[in-house]
Amino acid sequence: MLSILKSEWFKLRKSKIFGILLVGPLIGLGAGIGANTAETAGVMNEWYMLLIYMNLPYSILFLPLVTGVLASLVCRYEHQAGGWKQLLALPVTRGKVFAAKYALILLLVLLIQLFYLAAIFGAGLYKGVPDPFPAAIIWKSILGGWVATFPLVALQLWMSVWFKSFAAPFAVNVVFTLPSILAMNSEKVGPYYPWAQPFAMMYPAAGTGDIFFIPWGQLLTVIGGFFLLFYLGGYFCFQRKAV
Amino acid sequence: MMGKLLAAEFMKIKRKGIWFLTVLGPVGVVAMQMVNYGVRKDYLFGQNDDRWGYYLDNIHSFTPLAIVLGIVILTSFMSSIENETNAWKQLIALPVSKMSVYLSKFTVLMVLLLVSSVLLMLFTIAFGLFLDLGGEIPYSGLLKYSFYPFFAALPVLALQLWAATVSVNQGVPITMGILGVILTYAGFTLPDWLIWKWPLLLNEWNEPLINVLLGIGAGVLLYTAGMIDFARRDVK
Repeated sequence: MLSILKSEWFKLRKSKIFGILLVGPLIGLGAGIGANTAETAGVMNEWYMLLIYMNLPYSILFLPLVTGVLASLVCRYEHQAGGWKQLLALPVTRGKVFAAKYALILLLVLLIQLFYLAAIFGAGLYKGVPDPFPAAIIWKSILGGWVATFPLVALQLWMSVWFKSFAAPFAVNVVFTLPSILAMNSEKVGPYYPWAQPFAMMYPAAGTGDIFFIPWGQLLTVIGGFFLLFYLGGYFCFQRKAV
Repeated sequence: MMGKLLAAEFMKIKRKGIWFLTVLGPVGVVAMQMVNYGVRKDYLFGQNDDRWGYYLDNIHSFTPLAIVLGIVILTSFMSSIENETNAWKQLIALPVSKMSVYLSKFTVLMVLLLVSSVLLMLFTIAFGLFLDLGGEIPYSGLLKYSFYPFFAALPVLALQLWAATVSVNQGVPITMGILGVILTYAGFTLPDWLIWKWPLLLNEWNEPLINVLLGIGAGVLLYTAGMIDFARRDVK
């Protein structure tokens, strides 16, 4: 398993991946530097305001959309010139290949989240936010956003294994991501809509005793449930795929 | 030559889901308002006495995002027809100029987006009538909100087509597109010179027609630059 993961990494290393990983955190940095957080000075910790401003473009649009790009990138070599045949002719099972690709995307998303953490810190330093850095809250937000992408990554990997082009899985992703702009405003639909979860899990809500910013029930049923659905869908699609 | 190239391009996009997406875009934009008005019709009716105008504003809250993302998807599809199978060589080896190949791709994309705009107008009227908004149908506003974003988005189209055709790795133009759509999403806080803000039809003079003219002007410039670069590049 580890060796599959390693070979996946080698295939990816020279495919302009670092530029793609940095785009989101830079968007966040721009939004943070441009945000006017001074209005809340003294009322609440300015870092919260900064996080909320930076999260808006980052967690609603960027994070869900980039999962699709990463999933397509991870399958790019296999779709070219019979790559699936070569990969699956090795003594590896399809299940393990699928799991390795999934794990690699999750690692990349985690990297993006860590860069984003650095962007939050950088924007705060640049603006000279005087309040203490709320490390626990911000880590919750970073890791929560990561966990929220688990089902989205699974669906995108499914679509990327299925379709040869980048555009088709991306179209699927767009079709589901855009409505989250409406869904996140709705108290009824928002908690159940998987594409609205990155926003919900990154939005700092003080005073919740849970580990993340959404209740455990929602985490297990919506994120866990859709993760299982999409992962198994992709897994079986890949098992039956003609290479 | 152009006619035949166009016919070939339209042949190539058959049964690839491209026409489906062209229809899905406007359907999605109006469907978003169906949900919005379905859930809180009375509240939205109470917001503004000019119900048609308010309805058009609501429709327009998603049009720019849909058009920018649609451009990203369609340009990537158009170039992946040749990219996926390394068919650029074969296409260029035909007795056609590279510039006319590029022009035919651009023309097909413009036709697709125009079809989307027409459909958007029809669906907007249909759902507006269904909602029984009352009063006269504001045809000039309807035309404005359906077609101005298309013209204002031409520079984005030219840029994305260039990026998609010259990139071997389609992850690059798509990531560019994500950056672009975020600039559109946050456009109301950004300066007027950013081309991604233009489909929002906002500017400091409050005159949407400026965005249309700028869109056509900058679109022609970016298109020409992209075409010249494409023509000078090695075909791999």
